Amino acid sequence: MALTWRAAVLAALGIPAVLVVPVPGTVLLWALVVLVVCVLDAALAASPREVAVVRRVPPSVRLGEPAASDLEATNVSSRRLRGLVRDAWPPSSGAIAPRHQVDLPPGDGRRLRTTLVPTRRGDAHADRVTIRSIGPLGVAARQASIEVPARLRVLPEFASRRHLPSRLARLRELDGRAAVQVRGAGTEFDSLREYVIGDDVRSIDWRASARRSDVVVRTWRPERDRRVLVVLDTGRTSAVRVLDAPRIDASIEAALLLAALATRAGDRVELLAYDRRVRARVAGTGGPRLMPALADALATAHPELIETDWAGVVSQVRERLSQRALVVLLTALDPAVVEQGLLPVVDQLTSRHQVVLASVADPELHELSRQRGSAAEVFDAAAAERVGLERAAVAVRLRQRGVEVVEALPDDLAPRLADTYLALKAAGRL
Amino acid sequence: MTTTTHVPVVGDGTTARSRATSRWRRWRGPIAILSLLCVVGLLAALPEPRTSSVPLAPDSTATTGARAVAQILEGQGVEITFVRRAAAARAAVTPGSTVLLAGERNLFDQSQFDFLADVDADLVLVDASWAASVLAGVDSSWSDGSASADVAPGCDDPDAVAAGALRATGRLIASTPDTVVCFRGPDESADQGAYAVRTVDGQRIAMLADATPLTNAHLADTGNAALVLRMLGRHDHLVWYLPSPYDTGSDEGAGGPGLGDLVPPVVGVLALQLLLVVLVVAIWRGRRLGRLVTEPMPVVVPAAEATRGRGRLYRRSRSFGHAAAALRAGAASRGARRLGLPASTPAPQLIDAVALATGRRIPDVAALFYGPPPTDDSALARLARDLDDIESEVQSS
Repeated sequence: MALTWRAAVLAALGIPAVLVVPVPGTVLLWALVVLVVCVLDAALAASPREVAVVRRVPPSVRLGEPAASDLEATNVSSRRLRGLVRDAWPPSSGAIAPRHQVDLPPGDGRRLRTTLVPTRRGDAHADRVTIRSIGPLGVAARQASIEVPARLRVLPEFASRRHLPSRLARLRELDGRAAVQVRGAGTEFDSLREYVIGDDVRSIDWRASARRSDVVVRTWRPERDRRVLVVLDTGRTSAVRVLDAPRIDASIEAALLLAALATRAGDRVELLAYDRRVRARVAGTGGPRLMPALADALATAHPELIETDWAGVVSQVRERLSQRALVVLLTALDPAVVEQGLLPVVDQLTSRHQVVLASVADPELHELSRQRGSAAEVFDAAAAERVGLERAAVAVRLRQRGVEVVEALPDDLAPRLADTYLALKAAGRL
Repeated sequence: MTTTTHVPVVGDGTTARSRATSRWRRWRGPIAILSLLCVVGLLAALPEPRTSSVPLAPDSTATTGARAVAQILEGQGVEITFVRRAAAARAAVTPGSTVLLAGERNLFDQSQFDFLADVDADLVLVDASWAASVLAGVDSSWSDGSASADVAPGCDDPDAVAAGALRATGRLIASTPDTVVCFRGPDESADQGAYAVRTVDGQRIAMLADATPLTNAHLADTGNAALVLRMLGRHDHLVWYLPSPYDTGSDEGAGGPGLGDLVPPVVGVLALQLLLVVLVVAIWRGRRLGRLVTEPMPVVVPAAEATRGRGRLYRRSRSFGHAAAALRAGAASRGARRLGLPASTPAPQLIDAVALATGRRIPDVAALFYGPPPTDDSALARLARDLDDIESEVQSS
């Protein structure tokens, strides 16, 4: 049962009556009148439990893009249903105007659309549908909340896809498909063709030229069908906030851009999200089905407040990869954590694979190290300086073991990682 | 991935009966507690003989109290009105009653008792020398607390004669000839005693210099009970006026009309009706359209938190050496990078290179990068500034 503003007006209408007959009995009588009217009105309202409700939502939506949650409410009672319907979603789903006025004659139905603009990645589970059926007098209402399950998967935003065209262009340059003066290097023999002016004379194939009357050059192309394994660290360091977004968000962006680029380059991409156990895995998917599968798997990857088990990561990588591959570790370059976790086992990875470590840098650290305002700020600056030095030292140690270290601000990490990938590919180090 | 089948959901799976059951289940606890509270409250509110520990109060069971007297009087059919304020006492007096003024410790103003001269009632002044002198012209009375002795009445007042003897310590002196003074001590003059009666303008005023005979502890001593009961039980109604220390004004409450008298009588009922309106509005606004939806919130750990903590640690332990070393190492590594030297460059070479790039003297540069650590805040700040300067010079070289 619920009341409306009319019930308040009805109660207020008793004030003149009280002024005319100023005894407490008037108040009591009026209260009784209000009560009887409200109960009667609620009793005459259509039952909110006799409404057939269907909720339709798209299976997934990209973060920041609108999605529609459609409620189909059909009045199956014999009374006219007037009132309010609320399509309840969690706050991070960004439901716009989830309350709908309805007026349904018996047997009639209506579609109520609520626009959702999600603000957080992951699965959003719809809450109950609440129906408030107002009585014929509009004084009181009956209310019921009905469980109508629905799930909306909010995929990562993939804002870094704006960097994809430029990287694809670079890839085509490598491939030799674009008409450019400077050919990209490659390691795989592609074909022989006639020499044109501008070709590197070093690539002339003298033996082939001898067989023919023309000067023939060899062309190369980058390797194809290499394996790329992206390991997303979902341990506690990924929960850390950099510029108001957790580190894992930037890592996911980088993973998506790299995967999109590598698939186009003809490599096979796999994903592993791991902390102490496998949180998500995408393997054996290729072509156009890869990106949706990746987005789906990464949508529910959330930081866990536990320490990452790097030995476990190594055994997972061993299990997955039998031949040389590119292993991309999306983690944090936290000196203490890397020294304890990754450094002791990284040799097992670098001995067989090309390893890239991509980490989100914190711009605040740089700001901290530049401030000189007070003694306290200088101490903070010294601490930031020390952290930066330790970070550089650990990066050096990783590089000495053959790990490519990419450290960039959240927005730059995805393009920087893509560039590193292209550079490795161009150098034939995959 | 599974596709969701869209089967219409009708109702929340409850019936009127199940809802009533669950409602009852939900509310029976609170209802039980509420009803228990009501019962306890009613029991507490039942008229129960209440007791206090105020000296000379008719409801006090302490040794200095007077509940024994009050109960005997009530048993004899005397109606006792206990008042603590002058205004209430004035209002309580009815023609043909007895007024007891018990003690004068809390009398500050003559107006607190001088109205007693005008009332149509017999007065009994116990341990009240000020009131006795004002109302009955008795010169003085005192209660010295000395060892009390039984004394014979020594007068012809019927109450005193009936009592036969009194055990009290107080004394009063009455010089006016029409005052009957009783219970004179063995070596006292004729106008000195423990009890006196005088009739002023037809009003009988009995005075007892000492409150001891009234108390629970001493009521049973010799003739105390007889005297006190006869003194107080002359009429069917007794106003027991025990002045309160909180009775600030002589005519408080009786003077100007209160707020309740000023507003029209309709206001109370109107307030009741407004309460009803407020209640309805509260229910209208308070009913939520469905429950609040909750969701787990992500953890918030700012990345620089650990660094700031480290800075605070430096500061608290005043590790100027550590802080300066960090600043110097940072500046040196950036300078080396700018000058194209490897990170492992030995110090002398770096100093030479920096001095060459900036045009500074070698000892100055050496002191800046490898000098002694600063020892206070200002020295550390100065070092940081100097390092910034030399760094910018290296950058621009």
